[in-house]
Amino acid sequence: MNNVTERHCVVDVKGLKKVYGSGAVAFEALKGVDFCAAAGEFVMLSGPSGSGKTTLLSILGCVLRPTAGRVALFGRDVAGAREDELPALRLGLIGFVFQDFNLIASLSASDNIALVLRLRGWQPKEATREAEKLLAEVGMPEKAPSLPRDLSGGQRQRVAIARALAGHPPLLLADEPTANLDGRTGVQITEMLKDLARAHGSTVVVVTHDNRIFHLADRRMHIEDGRIQEEVT
Amino acid sequence: MTAPNAPAASPQPARIPRLRTMVRVGMRMMFHDKLKLAGTLFGVIFSVVLVNQQLGVFLGLLSKNTMFIDHAGADLWIVPGSTETLQAGKPVPIAALYEARTTPGVAWAEPLLFGGATVSLPSGGSEPVTVVGTKAPAWRGGPWNLVAGSVEALRHPDTMIFEDSERDKLGGLNLGSVREVNHRRTVVGGFTWGLLPFAPSYSFADYDYARLLLNTPSDETSFVLIGVEPGADRDAVARAVKERVPSLEVLSASQFRSRVLSYLLRQTGIGATTGMSTIFGLLIGLIIVSLSMFSSVIDNIREFGTLKAIGCRNSDLALMLLVQSTVYGLLGSVIGLRLVTLMADGMRSPKMALVLPWQAFAATPVLMTLLCGLASLLALMRIRKVEPGMVFR
Repeated sequence: MNNVTERHCVVDVKGLKKVYGSGAVAFEALKGVDFCAAAGEFVMLSGPSGSGKTTLLSILGCVLRPTAGRVALFGRDVAGAREDELPALRLGLIGFVFQDFNLIASLSASDNIALVLRLRGWQPKEATREAEKLLAEVGMPEKAPSLPRDLSGGQRQRVAIARALAGHPPLLLADEPTANLDGRTGVQITEMLKDLARAHGSTVVVVTHDNRIFHLADRRMHIEDGRIQEEVT
Repeated sequence: MTAPNAPAASPQPARIPRLRTMVRVGMRMMFHDKLKLAGTLFGVIFSVVLVNQQLGVFLGLLSKNTMFIDHAGADLWIVPGSTETLQAGKPVPIAALYEARTTPGVAWAEPLLFGGATVSLPSGGSEPVTVVGTKAPAWRGGPWNLVAGSVEALRHPDTMIFEDSERDKLGGLNLGSVREVNHRRTVVGGFTWGLLPFAPSYSFADYDYARLLLNTPSDETSFVLIGVEPGADRDAVARAVKERVPSLEVLSASQFRSRVLSYLLRQTGIGATTGMSTIFGLLIGLIIVSLSMFSSVIDNIREFGTLKAIGCRNSDLALMLLVQSTVYGLLGSVIGLRLVTLMADGMRSPKMALVLPWQAFAATPVLMTLLCGLASLLALMRIRKVEPGMVFR
């Protein structure tokens, strides 16, 4: 992990620990993780179930508090941020891509994307225009009015990627983005995520155990038993 | 090394656009699940219908017992001491009538007789009626809602006006029918509609004929009705009359009305019964809406987690629930009130009429919105506990 200190870290994690529960039932999910991602990098975290990769992603996504250690996103210490500051941090810094897509079922594809923009203060018309533009970028301009139930798995994940990119967040976090997709679609989606993130200047951290997409990573790290074991090149 | 030129987290947008966004999302979520929407609305509508139906029946019953006071047209009533109902009690000396007529500020004063009588039926039985004796030519306290005949028919000898809805009960009455009332041959001269108090129906007669029927001495009456001169101070006139008849009470129409209502509520228990039904209706509505909204949150728990993950605060989600509960309350009220109105029209009869004042129409949406707001608290408590991290599990 020598290059951690050499890299220009926009995602900077030092000595990260996370313990679930306490006393006899305490479980240490992360045991002092150091992690760095540079601006514009496409980083993959792989590892077996229970290795701590989702815990690490959750902490990076400001949806879970670490027990110890430092987490800085673009120079901001998010580990020490107050609870009421976290929603704004998530809204401003991070775009999420989920394994189950997690689109709002009652909103159209376009509205799912525009929602993030409107939460960020965009005017409705501008938000809708930008949402349609993002849908075009993921190759689905005609699906703007469609509800998630009318879309295939691949199409839903494309909408989810467009939503994650809405407002140009500097960091994208993807949790098993290909888990619910067939192999070919999974590779296509990941390629698209990488290309669009690069075009938008976003740093991407992908948690996956899908070895069909490993080759797309700029860097890949293996996490096991709560520690980053090795950096796979 | 950390990035020197870090992008700032986006500033919190203006409150209004954010509110508008959450309102929109809340509405879309609400109308997306039509089954849940229908279930929740059912709860509100059930509550609205039950509460207003109970209230309508209650007010209808009360109005039946105060309608006479409302229609008598008197500003003041001279009544025996401690009178609490509009029924014949201790008599009022007829001297009180003359005292009233000579009191400054009194425009008119008329006696009114009240008393129970029985109508003999052709089949052999008898039915009770409340005989009301009223004086020509003004017929103060006389019949209203006439559906057949005329009040002037009371000028004819031995003539009375009966309640239309009691015609069958009184042996198939028609205009011109003859019955024995308190053993006196009486001719039917007209019919009123809906004049049915808790007591036997009102049956009107000329004052002197009523006195004969009720065997009332000429120096006694039941009540004295008083009209106050235009511009005169009603309370001052009441005090002046009271000074002249110290053993009797002088009540304004509204005081008399309140006294009758108070008696009914205390003595009959209809207030408690209706109150219980109303509370029951509200409670059922509260439970249905509460469970329905809670179950909606549980069904969509992942969506709420997603909303939190992408930057929504608890207050945003609370607003969503508030909007949903407000819409449930208002929409349910509109539909429920429409149903109650239809029900009131369908149920309208001389014996039973739902009375729905404008205050009920105004208060129902407010009450139901508050109820739905209260019902959403359970859902809100669940939402507050939603961890945004759940979206990664």
